[in-house]
Amino acid sequence: MQRSKQQPKSLWQRMWEPKDVQSIAPAKKVLTYIVLIAWTFVVLFPLYWLFITSFKLPIHVSDGPFYIPFIDFQPSLHAWEYIFVDLGSDTLRPYMNSVIIAFISTALAVFIGSMSAYALTRIEYKPKVGSIMGFIAILGLVVYLTVSIKMAWQLSLSIGGALFLMFIFAFNKHFKRSLNNNDILFWIISQRIMPPVVSVLPIYIMFQQSGLLDTHFALIVTYMAVNLPIAVWLMRDFFARIPVDLEESAMLDGASRMRVFLTIFMPLAKPGLAATTMLILILSWNEYLLALFLSTADAQTMPLMVAAQNATRGPQWWYMSVLIVVMIIPVLIAAAFMGRLISKGQLGGAVKG
Amino acid sequence: MLAADKEVQRTRAPKRKVDFRQWLDQEAPKLLILPTVLIILGLAIYPLLLSAYLALSRFKLVRGGFELKYVGFRNFEKLISGSQQYHFVGTLGEILLWEWAIISVVISGFGYWLWRYFSGASKKKVTIIGSIGRLITVAVFSVLTILAFTVLNDTGRPGSLMVTLFYVFAGVSIQFAIALGLALLCAQNIRGKNFFRMAFFIPIMVTPVGIAYAFRMMMDMSQGPFSPVWHLLGLGDFAWAGDAWLARWVVLIGDSWQWIPFLFMVLLAAIENQPKEQIEAAQLDGASSWRVFKDITFPAIAPVAATAVLIRLIEAFKIIDLPNILTNGGPGIATESMTLHSFIAWRTQDLGGSAAVGYSLLFIAVVVCVSFFNFIGQRTAAKGA
Amino acid sequence: MKLAKMMKPGTLKKLSVALATTTALGVCATQAAAKQYDGVTVNVMTFTGPQIAEPLQRHAPKFQEMTGAKVNIITVPFSDLYTKLLTDFVTNTNSVDAAVFAPQWMVDYADPGYLENLSSRIAKDSALEADDISGFFRSFSTQYQGQPYMITLDGDFHMVYYRSDVLKAAGLEPPKTWDEYLAVAKAVNGQDMNGDGKADYGSCISKKRNAQAYWSIMSIAGGYLQGKGTSQGAFFDTKDMKPLVNNEAFAAALNIYKDTSKYAPADEINLDVGDTRSLFISGRCALTLDWGDIGTLAIDPKSSKVIDKVGAIALPGSKSVLNRETGKLEACTATSCPHAVGGVNRAPYAAFGGWSGGINASGDVKVKNAAYDFFSYVSQPAQSNADVTKGITGFNPYRKSQFNSIDNWVKAGMSEEAAKNYLGAIKDSLNSPNMMLDLRIPKNQNYQQVVLDTAIARFLAGEIDVNQTMQSIEEGWNELNEDLGKDDQLKLYKATLGQK
Repeated sequence: MQRSKQQPKSLWQRMWEPKDVQSIAPAKKVLTYIVLIAWTFVVLFPLYWLFITSFKLPIHVSDGPFYIPFIDFQPSLHAWEYIFVDLGSDTLRPYMNSVIIAFISTALAVFIGSMSAYALTRIEYKPKVGSIMGFIAILGLVVYLTVSIKMAWQLSLSIGGALFLMFIFAFNKHFKRSLNNNDILFWIISQRIMPPVVSVLPIYIMFQQSGLLDTHFALIVTYMAVNLPIAVWLMRDFFARIPVDLEESAMLDGASRMRVFLTIFMPLAKPGLAATTMLILILSWNEYLLALFLSTADAQTMPLMVAAQNATRGPQWWYMSVLIVVMIIPVLIAAAFMGRLISKGQLGGAVKG
Repeated sequence: MLAADKEVQRTRAPKRKVDFRQWLDQEAPKLLILPTVLIILGLAIYPLLLSAYLALSRFKLVRGGFELKYVGFRNFEKLISGSQQYHFVGTLGEILLWEWAIISVVISGFGYWLWRYFSGASKKKVTIIGSIGRLITVAVFSVLTILAFTVLNDTGRPGSLMVTLFYVFAGVSIQFAIALGLALLCAQNIRGKNFFRMAFFIPIMVTPVGIAYAFRMMMDMSQGPFSPVWHLLGLGDFAWAGDAWLARWVVLIGDSWQWIPFLFMVLLAAIENQPKEQIEAAQLDGASSWRVFKDITFPAIAPVAATAVLIRLIEAFKIIDLPNILTNGGPGIATESMTLHSFIAWRTQDLGGSAAVGYSLLFIAVVVCVSFFNFIGQRTAAKGA
Repeated sequence: MKLAKMMKPGTLKKLSVALATTTALGVCATQAAAKQYDGVTVNVMTFTGPQIAEPLQRHAPKFQEMTGAKVNIITVPFSDLYTKLLTDFVTNTNSVDAAVFAPQWMVDYADPGYLENLSSRIAKDSALEADDISGFFRSFSTQYQGQPYMITLDGDFHMVYYRSDVLKAAGLEPPKTWDEYLAVAKAVNGQDMNGDGKADYGSCISKKRNAQAYWSIMSIAGGYLQGKGTSQGAFFDTKDMKPLVNNEAFAAALNIYKDTSKYAPADEINLDVGDTRSLFISGRCALTLDWGDIGTLAIDPKSSKVIDKVGAIALPGSKSVLNRETGKLEACTATSCPHAVGGVNRAPYAAFGGWSGGINASGDVKVKNAAYDFFSYVSQPAQSNADVTKGITGFNPYRKSQFNSIDNWVKAGMSEEAAKNYLGAIKDSLNSPNMMLDLRIPKNQNYQQVVLDTAIARFLAGEIDVNQTMQSIEEGWNELNEDLGKDDQLKLYKATLGQK
């Protein structure tokens, strides 16, 4: 900087040095744009391709590639017609299912997750190792009774519950070693590591036993459960940044904890809430494996329908593309809405930690 | 319920009639966390235990129902040393001398790290859990290192275990690097920032099944959009699907396309939230952009980055849709991830085998994630604070 | 509306006329009592079409109009159908009232009693015209231990299709042996076969893993493995349940299978049947190995570029056959291949057995009756004789009347010559005394879709060589035999072959 002030700058130097701290050097700016535009192409081209494929006739796909509608091929609405007119209600039903299941389960996961995340940032829990061991042992016993001895699950579960209560009352005071909030948090997030294939059969049996298979309820509850860890984990990060004094003054004014949580924390963490909601919404909107097992007809969701377009006649690219395109729309709208919340919150500055 | 019992801030209520509101307030610590604990117990822990039982048994259909026969660790034995060894562990090859040299260097590195901990050189308190955790980490990573050299050479062939680890480690590092680069570029004071931010986020919204199909179209060498390019390069009749490594990379490209947006968004938010004053001061002092990044930006975003990477790691272990639809796990078993392996076993009623693969995946994923959380995540958190 | 959209106006008119006549004559049993199933809903599960699902979906509204029963067609991907059904039955969920699936899987469903025995219903049902259904489907494919559990909706045979124009131009005959198949593929590979200026391929066979490719290897191996007629079987030695996969015959088949890739698209290893079908009908392949579908797909003017340029022939065979004592391949003699024609032993493979409908035994009687009547309605000649000529239905001919009435096919757009050729190839396969039956013992899915398919996929990918492949299939099958009880499996295997 010193040197450049004394000597006249060569063009090369000027290209690589910013005029002032706020702006970017011209050459750097050009490079930045090249990279960003290249990446935009990487991101948008597959979507563009899906979009135009939805207007192609089978012959356009098998003779391809054709790139621009009206110029190198004549677009046709046949696929859109098939999906929305011929299949009509068969498309609308999974679509509505997806909307209902994804939005409700997301709302529940975020709300319940936020509650726990708040608790984990503000309250210190000390569950005792001994009690947990006891609990696991009893749960193991319940599973053994149900699976091996074929005892009715209602019965074994109540036996387990009773045993556990007795156990707690008898031994709780004698345990010394305890865990802390971080351990609880990790225990919660570790549930997300579980591959769904492992848990899906027990869950299937559970819903089958209670006659809830192939209902919205089953999928909502399952999605809520699998996404809850992420909600807790992300929301805790956001809550941790909110200064303690805000709530302390409210507590001194006599506000209850619930009230503090609902009226002070939730509004302050809006950007965090929006980001978390977005991520969980995307995860449950697009989930395939669990839906495959837990739904048959009534609760079938969109990803299943997309996968279904791969048939013995070869993948029906045109139908598939229509479905994928219409599947993006609700999420895109939600994202636009949430995106506004996210950036607003960041500008607000109240949350800066 | 467990946790709330031991809440320390709880003050014993005096014995008097309490109305509902007061009760609610008093029990708030319990009530706040109870739903999460119950839901996880019901829909995660209970299935986990039930499938633990499945992993140790053989599922058989019998007249009017099914029968579970306890077989001990047979299902695991089959995967690790039995008839499914090629499928899970891989085909074992010969380790060359120089490879042994690398392995011993890596393992002595682990050993040194352990020694530092136990001798107190790392200035950390030696605890029982800490020691066990470190021993498990070192053991698992050493075994995986040896395994990597055994199956990834000319004479060996990786099974679903090593393929999954490839997806996880290569995938997450590449995705993190690209996402960080894009986030740094986007965080600059440029026009059109909001457009890029929105556009870059879109891929994650596409359903993975859809992404897999989209990439099948993209990667079609003869009818896909890039086929003229391949023809120009003389590759028109070339098939990535026939080559094990190319097929794996194609799966990885699809996975990256989907997940870079997630890391990008999180990192961008973190970069934009870092204190501006410090950076401006450093720039006035004439610090290079690299220095600014290394000394200010990176430490500031490290905790958020660690969380994002952890979440990404967890999801990466579960990769299934892409290999399933792009290649059905082929050529041979080259692109088969552990989740797909487990799913295929499930589909053919081999529930025990399926659960055993799932459990192995759970074990490795937990070790990797816990190690990351404890030894990297917490360190960055400490630095960033 | 939906019905009208999917069919040409002429077809609809004809269909309704046909329907009106049958109704008037009272042939249609379901029609007798008006709206006897009001308020009944039948959930029928099958795999995602449009094939198979399409005709079911199309007939459902008509059926409801006639009988009052609402039929919901539920579809799941092919690879999930077996498990999805089994899970539904085993856990007693019973969300599925009836299903259209591969009869090969029937043993796993019928043995535990999940499927309804249909014998009394079929006996009373004159509209079904059961005698018109070809014997193989009627009395073998849909039966388990001598009792019918399913209704045939589709006929299935593996056959070889060739481009008659390309072969003629090159002066070649359709292949009779697999060596000839390779020779033809080699001779025409690289020619432009659809006039787009690009080189096309000698042979396209679906080889994708976890799809429907494992039938192809058995189609090739059949002629080498089975010479003494259908009851000899091609999977196991009926003496001791020894798998017939580790010998010179199977090695020869593996080599042929791999060699076909030389004259094929480079990504053949990642092609599903759907992909090879669309390659073939867009004129890019000279030869392919497939079920009956190609014949009807090739006459669909919307997608086909090979209308009237396609010939079909029963599976090629071999001039030598396995000696089961020695494991060696030996030249055919009058005793080792009594059914050989011109010294070539062929074993047409009844792969899959044709999509058929079965009914969940634990349903309500009324629902079961409605489900039966629906399947019967779809299978009745009035419906099926038109359906089998259309590519989109996925239904291939299985009734005598369908083989014999060339008119039907000419109306659908085939030339008379092509129709005779196509139907002739199916009839040849069906009437062959050395027809090869599919594996129908319990857990056949594990034998084929897991062990065989994985080993073949690894072989094609070059992970293992011929000997390792044969060893790994043999080990896998022996392991399954031990697990499931070798003697039980042998007994059932012999029963499916009609041996005592």
